[in-house]
Amino acid sequence: MRNPLVWLLWAASAAVLALSMRNPLYLTLIVLATWLVYLGVAPDTPMAGGWRALLRLGLIIWLITIPFGALMNHTGEIVLLSLPENWPLIGGPVTLEAVLGGAASGYALWTLLFIFAAFNLATDASQLMRMAPAFLYQAGVVATIALTFVPQMLQSAREIREAQRIRGHHFRNWRDSLPLAMPLLTTAFEHAVQLAESMESRGLSGELTDLGPGRTRLLRGSLALGLLLLMAGLVLRITWIQAAGDGILLAGVLLMAGVFWQLGRHSRRTRYGLQIWGPGDGAVALGSVVALAAGVLAARSNPALVSYAPHVDGVLIPPFSPTLGLAVALLAVPGVVSLVQDRPPSVKGEDGRPVSSDTLP
Amino acid sequence: MITLRGLTYTYPGAVRPVLEAVDLTVPAGAFVLVTGASGSGKSTLLRALNGLVPHFSGGAISGVLQVAARNPLQLGPRGMSACVGCVFQDPESQFVFDSVEAELAFAMENHAVPRLLMERRIDAVLDRLGMGHLRGRRISTLSGGEKQRVALASALTLEPQILVLDEPTSQLDPEGAEQVLSLLARLNQDQGITVVLSEHRVERVLPHADLLIHLPGDGTLISGSPREVLPHTDQAPPLVQLGVELGWTPLPLSVHEARSHAAGHALATSSHTRVRAVTSDAPDAITANGLSYAYGEHVALSDANLRVRQGEIVALMGANGSGKTTLLRLLVGLLRPIRGDLYIRGQDARHLTLEERIRTLGYVPQNPNALLFAETVADELAFTRRSHGLSPDLPEGLLEALGIESLLDQYPRDLSVGERQRVALGAILAAEPEIVLLDEPTRGVDRAQKEAFMRYLAREREEGRTLLVATHDVELVAESMDRIVLLAEGSVCDDGPTCDVMARHPDYCSQIGRVFDDGRLLTVRDVLGAVR
Repeated sequence: MRNPLVWLLWAASAAVLALSMRNPLYLTLIVLATWLVYLGVAPDTPMAGGWRALLRLGLIIWLITIPFGALMNHTGEIVLLSLPENWPLIGGPVTLEAVLGGAASGYALWTLLFIFAAFNLATDASQLMRMAPAFLYQAGVVATIALTFVPQMLQSAREIREAQRIRGHHFRNWRDSLPLAMPLLTTAFEHAVQLAESMESRGLSGELTDLGPGRTRLLRGSLALGLLLLMAGLVLRITWIQAAGDGILLAGVLLMAGVFWQLGRHSRRTRYGLQIWGPGDGAVALGSVVALAAGVLAARSNPALVSYAPHVDGVLIPPFSPTLGLAVALLAVPGVVSLVQDRPPSVKGEDGRPVSSDTLP
Repeated sequence: MITLRGLTYTYPGAVRPVLEAVDLTVPAGAFVLVTGASGSGKSTLLRALNGLVPHFSGGAISGVLQVAARNPLQLGPRGMSACVGCVFQDPESQFVFDSVEAELAFAMENHAVPRLLMERRIDAVLDRLGMGHLRGRRISTLSGGEKQRVALASALTLEPQILVLDEPTSQLDPEGAEQVLSLLARLNQDQGITVVLSEHRVERVLPHADLLIHLPGDGTLISGSPREVLPHTDQAPPLVQLGVELGWTPLPLSVHEARSHAAGHALATSSHTRVRAVTSDAPDAITANGLSYAYGEHVALSDANLRVRQGEIVALMGANGSGKTTLLRLLVGLLRPIRGDLYIRGQDARHLTLEERIRTLGYVPQNPNALLFAETVADELAFTRRSHGLSPDLPEGLLEALGIESLLDQYPRDLSVGERQRVALGAILAAEPEIVLLDEPTRGVDRAQKEAFMRYLAREREEGRTLLVATHDVELVAESMDRIVLLAEGSVCDDGPTCDVMARHPDYCSQIGRVFDDGRLLTVRDVLGAVR
């Protein structure tokens, strides 16, 4: 497993690129790079099914965006057909340029979904949550529990629906939802109680820090004051004198930073070091940063290179720069590194059999 | 290590105390088995040891309690967490994270163990339990047995002196249960950790236990060596029951011990036959030829053949993942086979809708909680009748057969696991299906409830109903089933009368069956019949 921060950097770079580009050639490069990442991390995990479903969903969204763009935009030379002018919004000529422009926008959306899906497979969301600052520890724990709780509840819901169906239950009106909702509710409740017991017996307590009640109150007060200063500064900045507003804003930020630092320092917990910088992480980080920088630079110096708007400029074939293409292709580094270096352990039971097929959906 | 003096505890809102003036002493390094029916106070006693009772549960407690020279009543679960490790029943619902490593670190994080030390302890615990290969895994991808071992490991990272386990194996298949128990025995012997464990399947734990605590359910407690205490309880496993009946001393606790006693008995085998004659010309209730199914690319069932005649009670056995549940779901129509033919009472299942199928076939899933939603048991049964468009009058004798006639006005969720299981069964039987499919009906069920279920099976046998029961419970099968269909890796690997299949597969044989080489004696009743 790669460091989750590195994955975050990769996903952010790829997402920013996908968002700032409409040029389908570069988008295709991003998609191919992401595909390679997927091959590198998780083609044989049980989550791979979810990946396919997500991509299908993306494809549907894409197909919907095309007519949307095509019907709303009426610029362009090559007219495919004309709708009556008096139709609100969609009336007017439908052009090839608008269809292509809409397709390119939808493609960017799909690329984004692609990146998100790969990121989701590559890293465990709960690991990211655990990297929240110390004083947010409990919020992090709650979020991770929600992450494991939701899939389990979905599974229970499916079991309950099946069980009731076999019992002859039909869903006709809202009152028929009781046989489905009640078992789910009580199951969730029993699960929550069990989990709470398990967490308490492993020493989770309500107190956050080893500070006394007096210090805690002081810190809470300071936090409130800091927030107040922040708001006041913002209001001042807009309504009255910018410099004074900035000063108060800064004071607020500093005060809050101080409180957080204190809270973090006195946190009664340690955190297990999952964020080890492994071999290959450097290469992934560098690749992501270079790709991102190249994309942003290109967008600034030569916007025509990355954007694609045939309905505006009438150019149907998008331009392509090999240098920028090469830089974007660097997004594939994590895939390459994973394929060469560390295939994750395959998901088999310890005796080599696939796990618990009795409980598969 | 553990001392109780006059401990009395009452749950909030309860009239009678669940533990009443209880005294107990447990020496350091003991392996303690806690037995008793559901609701007798086993869980309460275990939870008092680390302060969950009364700190988590509320209620009134009095008396003296000392655990590892500390007072849990005062310190509460957090204060006790460093010296008492806990593992609970359900492998699904005790994990905070989805990653094995993070889960193991959780308790240490709460105790502010320095990062490097955490790393070392995790290494040490995984190494000691022989689970190094699970380190990088996600918990959701583990089997039940593996999950319980991860729960065990995460309770060990703070290096507790006592391990408290509340029915840790009740949700596991025999293989998973054995893994967890042998691990516990090793921790107890090699590390001297005191183990306190509750369990319904007493026979699994007996060979390891040196102290037995029995809770009869009236607020009192009996403790002593298993041989002394067991004969006076209603929790004795078949082997001990047999030992008592035949006057064997010392009482055998394992198959190995019983074999030497058994050698001294002359058995009249020729006169005794336990095979029930299912009239071989009875028509088929279920006929399946070459049934196959796959979840995605994972083949769950390949080329399975199955014949169940009307009036037969058939056990479907096999390890977890061998395809038992898949087969049941195919039969009832929740899944469609990829290949193969299926006939229900001679009708091609392809031409039957789910609605038509469930008129003949009743299916009770593993988890009774998935069915129960109504305010009372009576409503629960009436709902099924309504759903099937039947008159509200329940079929005659149904309540008596299930032994739930006294529960009609109760709230189903308040019942014990065994009672809930039978109410769920009632909710299916209320529609009067001719064939009933059951998935693990005795899982997590105590001995008395299991006997009630066996009585139900005996009645159904008289009535001539057809039953197909997927189960791991060899004692249940030995007692009540005509035939075993054994699955392995998605195909039928053996099929025959109960005693024949048990003789061929010692892993699926009852304890009594393994004591006698005869091959026909599987239950206490069989042996007593042959001896006298």
